[in-house]
Amino acid sequence: MALLELKNVTKYYNNATPALSEVSFEVREGEFVSVIGPSGAGKSTLLRCINRMIEVSGGEIYFDGVIASKLRKRDLRKLRTKIGMIFQHYNLVDRLTVLENVLHGRLGYKSTLAGVLGRYSEEEKKQALEIIKLLGLTDQVYKRCDQLSGGQKQRVGIARALVQNPKMILCDEPIASLDPNASKIIMDHLRNISREMGITLVVNLHQFNVALKYSDRIIGVNKGMVVFDGAPEDLSAEQISDIYGSESGDLIIEPGEKNAS
Amino acid sequence: MTQIEESIKGWGRLKEKGHINDGMDLSAVKPLNKSSLAMRIILLFLSVLTIYALFTIDYKSIDVPKAFADTISNFKTIFLHPYSHRFSLWEAFYEVVVTIGLAFLTTLFGAVIALLFGLLAAQNLAPKQVTNMIKAFVAFIRAVPTILWVLIFAVAAGLGSAAAVIGMTFHSVSYLTKAYSESFEDLDRNVLEALTASGANWWQIVFQAVIPSSATYLLSWTFLRFEINFANAVAMGAAAGAAGIGFDLFMASEFYFDLREIGLITYLILAFAIALETISLRMKGRLHKRT
Repeated sequence: MALLELKNVTKYYNNATPALSEVSFEVREGEFVSVIGPSGAGKSTLLRCINRMIEVSGGEIYFDGVIASKLRKRDLRKLRTKIGMIFQHYNLVDRLTVLENVLHGRLGYKSTLAGVLGRYSEEEKKQALEIIKLLGLTDQVYKRCDQLSGGQKQRVGIARALVQNPKMILCDEPIASLDPNASKIIMDHLRNISREMGITLVVNLHQFNVALKYSDRIIGVNKGMVVFDGAPEDLSAEQISDIYGSESGDLIIEPGEKNAS
Repeated sequence: MTQIEESIKGWGRLKEKGHINDGMDLSAVKPLNKSSLAMRIILLFLSVLTIYALFTIDYKSIDVPKAFADTISNFKTIFLHPYSHRFSLWEAFYEVVVTIGLAFLTTLFGAVIALLFGLLAAQNLAPKQVTNMIKAFVAFIRAVPTILWVLIFAVAAGLGSAAAVIGMTFHSVSYLTKAYSESFEDLDRNVLEALTASGANWWQIVFQAVIPSSATYLLSWTFLRFEINFANAVAMGAAAGAAGIGFDLFMASEFYFDLREIGLITYLILAFAIALETISLRMKGRLHKRT
């Protein structure tokens, strides 16, 4: 059964051109889906419509058996706890420690007062520490986040998403600000999360060769429309130029080397 | 041949044009536009007014050099022979503590209320209508000086410390609301987005992300307001009968005409102001070390 299903999702920012038009696709549980496309194609909008950071203008979104696009405030909060999110600029509170930032992922489960006071249970702290260890940040637990490198910050971002015990994680350009080494570490962590924890991943990516290498499935978006939806092996050079526009031809290195590493 | 000559002339003309353009670019560094012209006219007007005023002041029968000499000798008495006939140094010290108490209380009240208002006035935390309303309201309060608010509240509370507390709190709230809300607005919208996406609610985001991120600014603004309130509290003692050292200063100068006492009180206030400044600098330094 599909964990996530989009049906004719449409989004207008102003009345002129749609940012998303009639987007429909399904994501199965445990799938690693990459969304690729040029800047301004609507990738970020698409991702934010799923957890309702942006309200859709039309169409429906089903997540885990509920109609996400119709939820009221309290249920929406509950839905969001089940969907983690990772950002290009990490979006951490720089003045707080790694552990505090990671524990922010638990706020959605807590009462207002407990969250305000920052009271976390022993179990939550243990879980947070375990995840931090898993991501190799044990030495940084009590460091403030502004003392970390970009790659470390993104791992904190991943830890914050994981501590939510999410069914799905949305990643908005997770490696766009990182150097190749840090990018590889982050992508490897994401693959482990998908394979070993069975968490569904929807990842916006600029680098389509990374998408080819890591994902189970690729969705190509251009001008708010899905122009490709299928396995990485099926993505031909022609379709890539469909997604990115004809100018991209020179940049394309032979696609289809999915399992290179 | 003629064609070539003409074309050479043409080059020359072009070159000339180029030169003219260069000249214009150089003068364009500071062009004489409307605003700079207006500025010059205003400066000229003000200097003319000043010179005119100096020549037309009615000095009455005051002998200016003698007046200067008298003022200097008064200052000498004030600052070189501070002494009090009415109260001991210990009593004066106590009165300064009362004044500091007034400043502390109004800053504390102001800070607590302004924290809430500041959150509601920050554009990244509250809807636009609410922020605009609060910002307008607060700007109106700020436009009226503290002493006027104290006198306005004196109508209801009577001249004295109650009116001073209410009036000074009022003005502190408006000042700190503006300062706080601007510190909150500095916070990256992305951080708020991340916490909202994880299911946190407004209060949790405020206390877990917004306040920790802007704590340094909040503290330094509050200290600044405390210093302002200390000065205000002295003035309120004199003008609104709010007790404290200000009232003694008022009595010494206006009622007893005791220059030496004025000197003593001035030195006391100065000493406390310096102490406050030092403490606040130390605390800020410690905060910066942590950042």
